[in-house]
Amino acid sequence: MSLAIRPYYPDYSTVPTQHHFNPYADNGGSIVAIAGNDFVIIGADTRLSAGFSIYTREQNKLFSLSGTTVLGCSGCWCDTLTLTRILKSRMQMYQQEHNKVMSTEACAQMLSTMLYYKRFFPYYISNVLVGLDNEGKGCVYSYDPIGHCEKATYRAGGSAGALLQPLLDNQIGQKNMLNVKPESVTKERALSIIKDVFISAAERDIYTGDSISINIITKDGITQETFELRKD
Amino acid sequence: MSILAYNGGAMVAMKGENCVSIAADRRFGIQAQTVATNFEKIFEMGPQLYVGLPGLATDTQTVMEKLRFRKNLYELKENRSISPKVFSAMVSHMLYEKRFGPFFVEPVIAGLDPKTYEPFICNMDLIGCINQPKDFVVGGTASAQLYGMCEALWEPNLGPDDLFEITSQALINAFDRDAMSGWGATVYIIEKDKVTIRNLKTRMD
Amino acid sequence: MFSAPPFWENGPAPGNFYNFPNLQPQVQQPQDFRQHSQSPVTTSTSLVGITYDKGILVAGDLLASYGSLARYRNCPRIVKINENIILGASGDYADFQYVKDFVEQKVISEECLDDGLALKPKSLYCWLTRILYNRRSKMDPLWNNFIVAGIQDGQPFLGTVDKHGTAYADKVICTGYGAHIATPLLRDSLDKNPQLNLAEAKALIEKCLEVLYYRDARSYPKYQLGIIDVEQGVSIEGPLEVPQKWEIAYHSKRF
Repeated sequence: MSLAIRPYYPDYSTVPTQHHFNPYADNGGSIVAIAGNDFVIIGADTRLSAGFSIYTREQNKLFSLSGTTVLGCSGCWCDTLTLTRILKSRMQMYQQEHNKVMSTEACAQMLSTMLYYKRFFPYYISNVLVGLDNEGKGCVYSYDPIGHCEKATYRAGGSAGALLQPLLDNQIGQKNMLNVKPESVTKERALSIIKDVFISAAERDIYTGDSISINIITKDGITQETFELRKD
Repeated sequence: MSILAYNGGAMVAMKGENCVSIAADRRFGIQAQTVATNFEKIFEMGPQLYVGLPGLATDTQTVMEKLRFRKNLYELKENRSISPKVFSAMVSHMLYEKRFGPFFVEPVIAGLDPKTYEPFICNMDLIGCINQPKDFVVGGTASAQLYGMCEALWEPNLGPDDLFEITSQALINAFDRDAMSGWGATVYIIEKDKVTIRNLKTRMD
Repeated sequence: MFSAPPFWENGPAPGNFYNFPNLQPQVQQPQDFRQHSQSPVTTSTSLVGITYDKGILVAGDLLASYGSLARYRNCPRIVKINENIILGASGDYADFQYVKDFVEQKVISEECLDDGLALKPKSLYCWLTRILYNRRSKMDPLWNNFIVAGIQDGQPFLGTVDKHGTAYADKVICTGYGAHIATPLLRDSLDKNPQLNLAEAKALIEKCLEVLYYRDARSYPKYQLGIIDVEQGVSIEGPLEVPQKWEIAYHSKRF
């Protein structure tokens, strides 16, 4: 039926209502990662939310892909579930095909390729991948939703990324500091900075809070830690 | 894109022990193109009272002129200098008069009370809703970055030298992560007997 | 596709119907469309679920609404899947029936293998996640919020999946208005007493349904209560009745 011959009733709409389905949801969450010479630490908050509802206060957003590689995801949770499941199966396929565990660099490249594969219907996730490289040095890779990859030594991502990144630039990157000699961060300092920045983020970002889960990756393996944040 | 982000700019004000600070970047741009690097966004409204007007640059200057006019009339009529609290109320009222066709500025006010020298900071949205916290206020296109910086660096009872360092570090590191602001900074430290104005050199990219 | 030119200008073409000029032109309807992303039609409201020391309770009323019309008043939406799973649904009732049918078929198919293995709650939860995520990726979602409750390895499991495929497990899960009204009540009680027993959990659920009945306009006083217990197994009680106290309404001047 054409629009021209449809009757006009002022109080009722006679055109079909257009209902748009949005396939994406913003489930919030923040990730912070700091790499050192022989370790790398990644922290993610454990709040899963949508709008003004908190779905759960204890959702782990860190996924260990191998003994030396961990991925932190925030953004659209249903995409995260899908992506990490495919990633884990790709890791297993690689292991069975080549009879060795995938290196952190290879993981980082694979993640980029997998994200770009969905270029025109992207996974809406802010990814931060951390691990030890072949020399045992800590490294951090961060991604945009369509697979742009950058290697760094520290990174903040997710809903409080904009709040936290300049703080890391200052405290870890020693930006805008005079008369300091460049030195790499110690494990203890990295850990305390991660806790501090999350406390700050929880003050101003409603999608960050409840608690953080922290993974510390060294040559001896991955140790896990949790730290409580404000829950309002 | 919001018209508030047309020219770019970052602004912060903090309270200290018997002192306050207010600081801003010096960029004037048109969207992504930087036009000038000596643009003032903070204006003197009294011996110990400053207002910062981040937002649309044309409104920054218009609102500054209108505020100076109203402040001068007040001081002629009352024959005394205006207090930060009264001045904030004046700004708020002026902005709300244009509730449905607003000036695109988000003012930040910092100063000391002319009688008690009580530190005062506040900011407001573009239609004059006042926020008057005990620690710090931020404004402009780098406000998210500034919130992160200030929330971590600020602490109570900062002396003027520490306040300068904290304000500068918060501002510079914040606007280095914002494409719309930067290109130098101006920091005002307002104390009972003096106001120190420092222009900071920063990275220019 | 090949088609022969007309016999003369604006004339009929061989093998085609001829449209006489100056008649009402046929509006060309696009033929290559698929209808996607329908909005929900017959809907059911909140579900509330809570974990207690030895199992899980899931409750939901029996109403299926048609917009604001309370249309079908006996629509069970908490179902037993097997001896260790309960499935609850809110949202579009037709989509729920569709999902329920093929979940039941899946259980029958596995039963036919006769290997003594039954579908586990986490397996169903994970599988539903994939079904719903695939449908959302086709821009044709199943408009539901599912709650999967079950016992796996002697431990209670409570999880949920929404129309995007967003899934999480927690001790307290509510859907719809329940997420706003019942979740705070349940989380508060669980914070004060993390080890509820069955009777306490039942009383709590009843209280939540009462509050929801007073405040959610799409709710209904008749409800079902699904219980899955480590010792007792699955039972679905109901129809039960929400306790109502309308006498207090007369204390309100506006009533």
